[in-house]
Amino acid sequence: MKYLAAALILAFAVGIAILPSPEPAQHESQPATAVPPISVCPIVEVGGRSTNVAVLSSVNGLGRLTTFAAGGETGSLEFRTGGSGSVVVPAVDAGAIGVSGGLVELPSDATAAGVLVNSPDSMASESCADIPTSQAALTGGSTASGSAFELQLLNPYAGEATLEVTVTTDAGIESDSRFDSVIVPPLTSLTLDLTTIIPGRESIGVDVETTRGSVLVFGRQTIGSETAIWRAVAPGQDWWLPVPGGADPKQLLISSVGSGDVEYQVDLYGPEGLQEAFETGVLGSRGQARIPLDEVTTTAAAFRIIATGPVVADLWMQSETGLAATSASPVDAPVWLLPGAAGPAGGSGSAVVLNSGLEEVTVTLRSLTDQSLTRDFTLPSERVLSVDLVAANGYRIESTGPIVAMWTSQLGAARTAALGVPIQDG
Amino acid sequence: MAVRMSQTTPQVADTELVVDSPDAPRVRVLLTAVAGADLSAALAVVGRQVYEPAPEVVVVGAETESVSSAASLEEAIAGTDSSVDYLWLLHSDARPRPDALAAMVSEIERNEASLAGSKLLKAGTMDELESVGGATDVFGEPYSGLDEGEIDLQQYDVVREVAFVQSASMLVRRDLAQGLKGLDPLLPPVAAGLDFSQRARLAGGRVISVPSSEVYHQARCGARGEGRWEQAGRLRAMLTAYSPLTLLWVIPYDILVSLLDSLANLALLRWRPAVRHGYAWLWNLYHLPSTIRQRRRLHAVRAEGDEELFRFQANGSVRLRVIGEELSGKLLSIFDDDQALARRTRRVWGSPGIWGAIIAAILVLLSARSIVFTGMPNVGYSFPFEPPTVALQRWFQGWNEAGLGAGSAVHPAVGATGLFSLLWFGAEGAARTVLTVGLSVIGVAGMGRLGGRIGIRGPGRYLAGIVLIAGPGTALLVGRGSWLALAGAAILPWAVRAALVRPGYSRGERFGLAGWALLLGVLVAMFSPALAVVPVLAVLLYRALGGDRGSILLGVVALIGGLAGFAFVAGDPGWIADPSRRLDLEAELLWPALVAVAAVPAVAFGGRSRELGLAGGVLSLGTLLVATTVAVGPGIQEALLITSSLGAAMAVAAALDRVSRNVFHIVAAIGGLALVVASVIAVGNGRLGLPAGDVNARLSFAQTLSDQPDPGRILFASVDRELIPGEVRSGPGFWYSVLDGSGTTLDEVWLPEPRTGDDELSEALDEIASGTDLRPGERLAGFAISWVVIEGPTFFLDEVLVPQLDLPPVPLDPDSRVYENDKAVAIAGTRDQPWVSDGVGYAGEAVDGPVPLAFNFDAGWSPDVSQSGWSMTVDGSSGMANHPAAGLDLTMNIAVAVLVIAGLGGIVYARRGR
Repeated sequence: MKYLAAALILAFAVGIAILPSPEPAQHESQPATAVPPISVCPIVEVGGRSTNVAVLSSVNGLGRLTTFAAGGETGSLEFRTGGSGSVVVPAVDAGAIGVSGGLVELPSDATAAGVLVNSPDSMASESCADIPTSQAALTGGSTASGSAFELQLLNPYAGEATLEVTVTTDAGIESDSRFDSVIVPPLTSLTLDLTTIIPGRESIGVDVETTRGSVLVFGRQTIGSETAIWRAVAPGQDWWLPVPGGADPKQLLISSVGSGDVEYQVDLYGPEGLQEAFETGVLGSRGQARIPLDEVTTTAAAFRIIATGPVVADLWMQSETGLAATSASPVDAPVWLLPGAAGPAGGSGSAVVLNSGLEEVTVTLRSLTDQSLTRDFTLPSERVLSVDLVAANGYRIESTGPIVAMWTSQLGAARTAALGVPIQDG
Repeated sequence: MAVRMSQTTPQVADTELVVDSPDAPRVRVLLTAVAGADLSAALAVVGRQVYEPAPEVVVVGAETESVSSAASLEEAIAGTDSSVDYLWLLHSDARPRPDALAAMVSEIERNEASLAGSKLLKAGTMDELESVGGATDVFGEPYSGLDEGEIDLQQYDVVREVAFVQSASMLVRRDLAQGLKGLDPLLPPVAAGLDFSQRARLAGGRVISVPSSEVYHQARCGARGEGRWEQAGRLRAMLTAYSPLTLLWVIPYDILVSLLDSLANLALLRWRPAVRHGYAWLWNLYHLPSTIRQRRRLHAVRAEGDEELFRFQANGSVRLRVIGEELSGKLLSIFDDDQALARRTRRVWGSPGIWGAIIAAILVLLSARSIVFTGMPNVGYSFPFEPPTVALQRWFQGWNEAGLGAGSAVHPAVGATGLFSLLWFGAEGAARTVLTVGLSVIGVAGMGRLGGRIGIRGPGRYLAGIVLIAGPGTALLVGRGSWLALAGAAILPWAVRAALVRPGYSRGERFGLAGWALLLGVLVAMFSPALAVVPVLAVLLYRALGGDRGSILLGVVALIGGLAGFAFVAGDPGWIADPSRRLDLEAELLWPALVAVAAVPAVAFGGRSRELGLAGGVLSLGTLLVATTVAVGPGIQEALLITSSLGAAMAVAAALDRVSRNVFHIVAAIGGLALVVASVIAVGNGRLGLPAGDVNARLSFAQTLSDQPDPGRILFASVDRELIPGEVRSGPGFWYSVLDGSGTTLDEVWLPEPRTGDDELSEALDEIASGTDLRPGERLAGFAISWVVIEGPTFFLDEVLVPQLDLPPVPLDPDSRVYENDKAVAIAGTRDQPWVSDGVGYAGEAVDGPVPLAFNFDAGWSPDVSQSGWSMTVDGSSGMANHPAAGLDLTMNIAVAVLVIAGLGGIVYARRGR
């Protein structure tokens, strides 16, 4: 028996050494995370300007617009997108006062919101932002005489955010303590008035890095009575930008946000099809390139910007017929929503669609309003389509292939332009 | 402690046998000059010796005209020719009686000894004894057995083999003296005598004390065996004599004993012993090269092993015995006027296990130093006790407030700790500290008593207690903060011991034995319910290996005591059966290796050591194997790991029971000692191995910042399971637990089986974790979750909780991410009219209508409970809500009370019978 016991001891010891331990208890698997269907919009209810929030959806569902400023909610309004899947909500009805932010809780994922800022002699529009990124940049502002440029920093969330803002101008990188560790409290719309901080700059690029929390950034340029609003976007190396036709001055602005040199190439999708490397160049550290587009073509066209480092690209339209700006798109998609897109009464509006694929596609434009209008177009590969818009809450553009869409409208001396919102899962 | 002196010649020496024989051995006297001693007087006394042929005298260390001289003893010995049979090494401060030499020669011849020492009487006294030869302990500390000022009444006049004789007067065979190169010149007199005696014995000679050879000693040589030089000399004698294997364990032991001796003396306001110990080591380090040379010399003539020295050594440490007697004497003298108890302490200090017990207890107490000085950690599974009345109420009434609450029994330890806190004057905080430290000592004592019951008497059985507290299994559990594992381990050896019987116990003792088995069965089950089965299993194993002291019946009685844990297990069967709730613990391979080294050699041991060692090894590694390779519930895992430590401790007790040159004993002892050392390291953090930290202090902001009387709950989440206090639930991509915002207590460590509310919380977390819920605060508010705390490395939940609208992050804790939920409902009542906890229930302002309770619905609540979704409401008109005891919980608690009373009754009955 004693030898058996000794053998057992040795066997147990060997067993402990060689037998595997049972699998450790595991927690449940991590769920697929999704972005909540929300959009964050810049709202202006001051100086005769008022903001409408256009919401486009594929469903008839409930949503809510909550306005916030100075650390608290200023009001909230529930809305329903109705049978057309669209609605336009005056921000003032949701309690908006002054320069504030609006959080739109959307009824479904395939939904988009945009703002239309109107005054008697100006209009501006931009798609609202959905996914905050840790780095966002925009280019195109100016604080030269007669111009005013502001950054609107929106933090709709419960946690405080801290940002590092790098402003690059024709004078180089601006050094000002007001750009360092900018704290944006929760439920706050903070405005950085660059006109006051760095007056007299012709060309401004802004790079915002969020070190804590989450913030959405918009640029707002005012020249005279005309205003343009456009989003800061995450820098990338590949951009699409449809451009409306017309002889008005238009510029493609490209800014690098890195410290090294960046080579770029601009491809033109013009009336004759794709012209690769229509323009090339090198951007120095945080450098900017301005490419006049009206000298290239007066018809609707599109551009693709490919860079060797992170850049942002914006469309800048400034003329006697108005001021407008919008960001380029980093993606193409088969479905686009153009919230707020319409041809205003007494004015004109158009949607510009680029077939970015290699196949001919059928493009369907549907105005979203109580009496929607649908039109189909055949669009060859690498060609651009410009379609006039009618009155609506916005437009839904579907295609049999990947496309990129933006819209523009003009009323008197006021002009606006905005890129659409891509819907990947339509 | 008995002094072993062999009596070889029981009669008084008869010197007439040899003195006049013409063939009497020739003796040369080597008279060592001692400073301050009258050399001419010494020569005169030597000249009066009645011995033929008259011995030739050589003076060592001084010049005289009348006799020859030598510069050193070594030279004198070397210069002696082979015609001389014996050398009489004599100090010049010694005054031998005329027959002293003849007596020694006679006895050394008669006993075929090689070295003989005289009886030394203090010169100038009324025959006060100085030395009759003596024993030492293993560290060379002399033990004469004489009382201070003891008069020679011929009470020691028998020729005996002794460990050593003093160098003041010793007769040695000439050839042996030349082989040993004489006395070590670096050593003082007593140490020199000890060293020479030991070397003589290792060379194969016998060392005897010859009381009939009386020598008056002036002690001008300083031969009182005291002082730092003597201490250093004893250490050198030890380093010279012992084999490397013995030195391997003697040296650490000696350091430990020196440390304890120094500390105890410092406690008695004596600093010199500490200095002496330090000096002794420094002196020996300085003289290490010459010690090595001495060892080489000895090696050439060595004929015996260290066992020959052990035969004449006293058990334990003489130094510790002396200081222990002094300390206990001082203590007992407070209330022991007639010194009856003090006399008994001599026997106590002489028992072989006592100093092992003291060393083990001191080590354990040192291992609890941080607990004593800075308090208990609140982390892992170790949390404060509830106030005693609440704890007892909770245990009796069966309302478990852990998580979102459940109407099932709490862990029975809640009742045990409540009772102890009540006995400790209701101070649950102090009771927790005292109980923790006390349990560790109780565990050590229990292991010693368990070994004693089996028949193991050595000091190892108490040292094994350290392995019980911090051995292979308990180290893992306690390292994860399991206070209950510590408590269960401490009680377990007592419960196992209760199932073992002394040989020859009387029939009248049966009730007492059964009473103890029942009581200890209840106790062990209250701390770790599954452990109740261990006593009967241990007995079965022990008997299978040939043990004859195990009583299966008593084991079964102890098992019946396991009913104390039944209500808890019945209310939460997953605690036993759900492997997903087990802790992820992995035993380091060192542990099983050491257990095997300590246990397997027991196969060659005799009797009880073999049975204990093998049973311990099988028990330890068998349970460790199951615990680490089979997916079992946390309760079973806990019991297996604690049992593994018990088994390892049993193996250690057997391995360290006796030390001998037998290779099996040596290997087992090495394994046992290594296990003890590994265990001491495991508890070296000063918290008995419990991890550091105070989660309650860190989360105290919940209480501080709350605008409500009850701060609500905290949702604590992490991807690292170990960072979450107590048991956890599995969440979507992380672990979580819902904690009491007013501080977690021991009763909340184990989560009951999930109820409807837990399922709904799980669904809410799924939704929040998916990132689609913009208002997680609103989603969690109904569960009275006022705070969300994310701990450990950042993970996706951190990102998910950035874009949300109603859980503002609050920078309250640098080590975690904290979010406040100001929408949370009150746990009881409403935010405007909250009710506060009152014992196990809640009380507040009386209202007409229902009052919500944010707990899982349980029909046991009153008054007029009704379900409201996953939670409930009670009628608020009385201003109170309670969960009275009922059903199985009530029945089982009454049954436990009956068992305890029955056990106590049996014990009392047996004592009265005795």
